[in-house]
Amino acid sequence: MKYDLATLLSQLPRGQQGRKADFLKCDLATLLSQLPRGQQGRKAVFMAITAASTVEKVREKFPQAIVETVEFRGEQTIVLQPEHLVAVCAHLQKNLQYTFLSSITAVHWPERLPRFDVVYHLLSIPNRSELRLKLRVGEKREEHPSVPTVVSVWPGANWYEREVYDLFGITFAGHPDLRRILMPMDWTTHPLRKDYPLSGFDLPEPHWGGQVPYDTDPGVGSQTLRTPNGRELNENRTRFTQNQEPGTEKR
Amino acid sequence: MQQQEIENVYTVEDSQISEDGQRTDTMTINMGPQHPSTHGVLRLILTIEGETVIKCVPDIGFLHTGIEKTAEAKTYHQALVLTDRMDYLAPLCNNLGYSLAVEKLLGIENEISDKIKYVRVLLAELQRIASHLVWLGTHAIDLGAMSVFLYCFREREMILDVFEYVSGVRMMTSYICPGGLQAEVPAGFDDIVRKFTSIFSDRLREYHDLLTNNQLWLERTKGVGHLSAEDALAYGASGPVLRGSGVVWDIRKAFPYSGYEKFDFDIPVGSNGDVYDRYLVRMLEMDQSLKIVNQALEGMPTGPYRVQNPKVAPPPKWQITGSMEALIHHFKLFTEGYRPPVGEVYVRTESPKGELGFYIVSDGSAKPYRMHVRAPSFANLEVLPLMIDGCLLADVVAAIGSIDIVLGEVDR
Repeated sequence: MKYDLATLLSQLPRGQQGRKADFLKCDLATLLSQLPRGQQGRKAVFMAITAASTVEKVREKFPQAIVETVEFRGEQTIVLQPEHLVAVCAHLQKNLQYTFLSSITAVHWPERLPRFDVVYHLLSIPNRSELRLKLRVGEKREEHPSVPTVVSVWPGANWYEREVYDLFGITFAGHPDLRRILMPMDWTTHPLRKDYPLSGFDLPEPHWGGQVPYDTDPGVGSQTLRTPNGRELNENRTRFTQNQEPGTEKR
Repeated sequence: MQQQEIENVYTVEDSQISEDGQRTDTMTINMGPQHPSTHGVLRLILTIEGETVIKCVPDIGFLHTGIEKTAEAKTYHQALVLTDRMDYLAPLCNNLGYSLAVEKLLGIENEISDKIKYVRVLLAELQRIASHLVWLGTHAIDLGAMSVFLYCFREREMILDVFEYVSGVRMMTSYICPGGLQAEVPAGFDDIVRKFTSIFSDRLREYHDLLTNNQLWLERTKGVGHLSAEDALAYGASGPVLRGSGVVWDIRKAFPYSGYEKFDFDIPVGSNGDVYDRYLVRMLEMDQSLKIVNQALEGMPTGPYRVQNPKVAPPPKWQITGSMEALIHHFKLFTEGYRPPVGEVYVRTESPKGELGFYIVSDGSAKPYRMHVRAPSFANLEVLPLMIDGCLLADVVAAIGSIDIVLGEVDR
């Protein structure tokens, strides 16, 4: 008995027979036919949207929000003012079909002011176009810069923002559940910052983890963790309640 | 995690008296991190009422190895080996994504010869089959079908033999590297791949015989772990999870990389978004991958196995004794590495789990200033609470298996 695609589908239980049509080639026509019904007439508009035209459209609609736009290796980047982020994202998601948020991440530039880039990678599935948004945050002495959350636009941003908070210490205002995701819950520092040492902390005396700054451990909580160039890293935990992470809003 | 929530595991919470006088207790239990069906070290904090799951909070990070941090201290070539360790069931697909990103950053995409592209596609598709075989075996064993596991690993061994033949290593090959391949493809490579492709089609038929129309399998998977297309898109799910929900999307078709536009293959798409659809999508994907492997074997061009650019790939060893310039290039490459221009790139590829993205920022030095990995399993795991909301406790295992997570990639 042969099991090519057609025979396999014909062998499906009876309720599933109607699904044959779903196993199709992924061409542009199929993609367009998958659009919601009200959108079908706008095919011509969607065909025209590319990353470059998106940049122009955002520039027209939000002239005050754009700091600069960059093109490198064919990839479009829009640098935005943080306060306009949610409005721009909502516009991109609703009107320009950027329904898929690929990732959110950050880059630490300790020598520069503002010190952090927060980077959003967007994808428009109907238009096959990709776009990068960028914010620059973190003024002098601002230990935990704050960025508005985009969870209301893309629910999937939840975990990415938690990851950025965990590894960089950037907080997201309005996030429903901002807590650490990869590091242990009682970790006090943010490892992907450039001043965080690669090979652990130099503790004054040997300790079971060598590099675990648990403040529940009486031997470690009283010690000060320093980077190789002497910058103090751990935050004063006594200012926070048990349930509150440093940098987050009080629940 | 709120402290209180952590401490409440294995407890019966305050019982409430419902209208008809019944006591309704909810219980919070811990599934994992050392549970065989969580496919690694995933911990789920499940709130159950009777046998129904009413809340699920995934807790990840047990396998966090700081790969992104480590990569900042390695040269571009050294950071390649870290990518193997993320999705350890598909290391070659990770190598491919990373290599494409570095090549884009260097601006040498046009120098990559057709032969390199074909070998890369061939190996990536074999890797996809191998990854799906592990998924099928473990998914089936989770749901009580022991023998499928043994058959799947039998075929996976043949693929790993191919990798061993070509690179000397079975799993963490690092064979695909920025600038081409690590070494020349050995003679007899065709035969060993054909040995696999000639039998695999029949073996795939056997798996279909075992599971696809098996009543027990249908009962465990049909209508379980439903995920709607809207939710899958909104939460950034990708790969077979997204296609199982009926969204026609594959990066190999949408943004063809490494010469995928030259191959003829279909994208299987489900429609119900349940565990069975995701199962069928992956099963049919293996068929398509086999088709691509066969096409790559047929049309394999000849040519160099790495770019002829001494700033990126070392010159042949025999030149070093005769040419001062070659010696200098060799020395510079292995002591210092190459220096891409200042800039940033994001390259997305279709790994067996979904969209694998590499975001690399260069500050002009020989080490990546920042390497971020968009891990497909990370986003796919985020939709797990949606899938199992209101499911029975036993179906949680089916839902986790159908996502095909690799915790090395989730936690990085």
